[in-house]
Amino acid sequence: MRIGLDVGGTHTDAVLMDGSQVIARVKATTTEDVASGIEAALAAVLEGQSPASIDLLTIGTTQFTNAVVERKQLSRVAAVRVCLPAGRGLMPRADWPEDLAEATDGGSYMIHGGHLYDGRALSDIQEAELTELTQTLYDTRPASVVVSCAFSPTQPEQEDKLVARLAEALPGVRICASHLMGGLGLIERENASILNASLLDFADRVANALVGSSKKLGLNCPVYVSQNDGTLIDLERVRQFPALTFASGPTNSIRGAWALTGLADAIVIDVGGTTSDIGALKNGFPRQSNLVIDVGGARTNFRMPDVIAIGLGGGSLIGRDGRSCGPQSVARELRQKALCFGGKVMTLTDVAVSQGRLTILGASESKPVASEVCEAVDSLIVEKLAAAVDLMKPGGAVLPVILVGGGAPLIPGDTLAGCPLVRPDNADVANAIGASIAQVSGEAEDMRIAGGDSREVVIERLTAMASEKALAAGADSATINIVNVEEVDIPYMATDTSRIRVSVVGDLAGREVLAS
Amino acid sequence: MIWRGVRFLLHEMCLMKITASDIDDLALGAVFLATGGGGDPYLPTLIAKETLAQTGGVTLIDAQSLDDDAFVVPVGGVGAPTVSLELLPSVDEASKVLDRYEELVGRPISAVASFEIGGGNSLMPLMAAAVRGLPVVDGDGMGRAFPEAQMMSYAIAGVKPTPALAMDYAGNTAVFDTSDTTTYEHHIRAFAAAAGGMITVAEHPMSGAQIKASVIPSTVSFSLKLGRLLREQRGPIDDVMPALRSLFAESVYGSVHKIFAGKVSSKSTRTVGGYDVGDLSIEDFDNSQCVCSITIKNEYLVATVDDRPLAMVPDLIVIVDTETSTPINAERLHYGQRVAVLAVGAPLFYQRPDALAATEPRCFGIDLEYESLDALVNHQP
Repeated sequence: MRIGLDVGGTHTDAVLMDGSQVIARVKATTTEDVASGIEAALAAVLEGQSPASIDLLTIGTTQFTNAVVERKQLSRVAAVRVCLPAGRGLMPRADWPEDLAEATDGGSYMIHGGHLYDGRALSDIQEAELTELTQTLYDTRPASVVVSCAFSPTQPEQEDKLVARLAEALPGVRICASHLMGGLGLIERENASILNASLLDFADRVANALVGSSKKLGLNCPVYVSQNDGTLIDLERVRQFPALTFASGPTNSIRGAWALTGLADAIVIDVGGTTSDIGALKNGFPRQSNLVIDVGGARTNFRMPDVIAIGLGGGSLIGRDGRSCGPQSVARELRQKALCFGGKVMTLTDVAVSQGRLTILGASESKPVASEVCEAVDSLIVEKLAAAVDLMKPGGAVLPVILVGGGAPLIPGDTLAGCPLVRPDNADVANAIGASIAQVSGEAEDMRIAGGDSREVVIERLTAMASEKALAAGADSATINIVNVEEVDIPYMATDTSRIRVSVVGDLAGREVLAS
Repeated sequence: MIWRGVRFLLHEMCLMKITASDIDDLALGAVFLATGGGGDPYLPTLIAKETLAQTGGVTLIDAQSLDDDAFVVPVGGVGAPTVSLELLPSVDEASKVLDRYEELVGRPISAVASFEIGGGNSLMPLMAAAVRGLPVVDGDGMGRAFPEAQMMSYAIAGVKPTPALAMDYAGNTAVFDTSDTTTYEHHIRAFAAAAGGMITVAEHPMSGAQIKASVIPSTVSFSLKLGRLLREQRGPIDDVMPALRSLFAESVYGSVHKIFAGKVSSKSTRTVGGYDVGDLSIEDFDNSQCVCSITIKNEYLVATVDDRPLAMVPDLIVIVDTETSTPINAERLHYGQRVAVLAVGAPLFYQRPDALAATEPRCFGIDLEYESLDALVNHQP
């Protein structure tokens, strides 16, 4: 059996799973120290079970996202950009919010080097420059150093060499290569790497706490954490790449919807207290966004699920006569303010209770809202959600729409935008169930230039590279599958050039690998 | 509020200062005028802000205030904007090109000009001029974005592209002296591909008299006003239209019309010969049988409903989000987006027979006789 745990801002949810069956489930409150909430949730699902019967603990957590958003727990990172003589006059962290730049500032540097799109050297490394940089870093002692070379995602060797050299010269300082943190887009990749590096010390503390909590409850199984693409990474990788967990919240809900329904291609709506997140399942994984992602005010190229949020949830305020719904919300004060709890504010929860879609234990009124108002609100939210579903549907196809999250019963009807609504059991703990799916992934990308290798050859090479990464993450080689091949054409070039990215996924290999 | 007074005064003297704080608005206006092309404005915006902050800004001048024998040089980027994501532009790149150009021709430059107001190329001349302390002509060579050099008003008016000087990221240069604009276009693209994918170019040198006769005037200051309007009035397009109408009424452009609104129902683009080519369909909100089709070649070229044209190049076709009125690039459009299609009459220059001959739908391989936006709007059934 295995346990899936989802640590959100408000709730810490846990499920005990046997195969695809939910054996036990709990919704607990996230505590200030996080660890005691995790321990309480674990204890609740473990009640009556032997800890020895658990062979995997998987965790989705928003702790690292919150650290960046709140500028807490961050350490100082030196950024070394290797791109001169290109990019003169524009330093790393140039357009970051001042407080975030300050909280992570361990110095910013630019030196000669890097590559061009066709693989040639942009410039040679200059020894004197490198020696001076090393001395400066030695004197200033940042907690970590990020090295980002132009075109390193397609030509990683130089970046790796520089990382090795700096590591040798700066014992005790962690040196990070940017190509391990993302694809093409130097500034975005560098930003992602700096954010990640700034979380390394905190990641050690979080990983140690997770091990501590699981030990305290007698668990002796491997611990994995879910990452942005919906697959798992082990604690060693979390210690190196904490930023890979930034989107695990929405990702786990979407993956959970897949686990609960078996629908590999669908739209997923996660209805919460203040917002509804609408995402899409493609081949059983969240469809990823191609847009740049803003994390705490810094522009990054993290691969995150394509999700739109609309202000519609259990606490959404209802306007007079039901003419509006949200985005204002009573949020966590639902139990103090909503009509059905004896409060004075009309919320979407009150409408759902009045319409008989929701029964709330301890509610003081059974029909707090007049039926004309309920009808008006219902048609309003159906219209809002239908527009959002339309936006997420690929090319006008009819796809099932899966409703998950604690607020799923708030949504009326059995169709949206011409698509059937699916309401699975255990939808309210879909996120914890999503976290419990034991799969790992690998990804590789490259530019293809007309006249060079054929498309098939490039894809084959990238598949091999991605599979190697999946194997290193613990995949069972027999289960590795391509889940996505993405091609983006690059306009304005005389020769046709495109960027190809291949993602593969495999099941976490059996016990012997898990035990090692 | 002293600042406002100073700016007003400068404007009265045909002079206007552009500073780092204007760049976001200017870039937003430039995305609107790029009619779907022009690439992601993020990097050009970032680097332009940095340059103007370091130099204190740049002065915009009216072309008509130049001496007839002034020496004006347009400057801009040529190549694949996508490559710049790794091969980052430099703050001093554009100004260095001007330095080398002056050495080449042995003559000091009196003012810098723009190739096109649409997209990132609208910001490059500002950076070059700011570093050099030169003024920038308030205007450009397209009034929008076009994919090829022979579509520029400078070229149409008979200005030769050469001598042209192109510089790569490392300061390597190439000088071009070609027989005609088409050959020039071909050679410069080859150099861009060989030199890292993105180069900075000074070309189409002009006398003051020549630029007065060929520039699309006031487009830089207009782009700034347009961007400011879109930011300040951000909201549903029907609420923003009255303000847009008055703004365009006082510009070099024709009038602005909302010609369609609906949901993007399909988009197919692919790269052919270095261009993004394809089609876009937008379904009417109330009647899914009523579909607006838009032909794309980097830019939005022709909008039709049931084969009945609504607007066509060189008139501007712009797609905006219906809720925010923010212009959307062709590369950012996707299924399900709720959009309004706007059309703007091309500047007067592009109504000239020789300008139409270089930019009408046939120049893009589309078999349509050009009909002006005014005629199309007035003859609606």
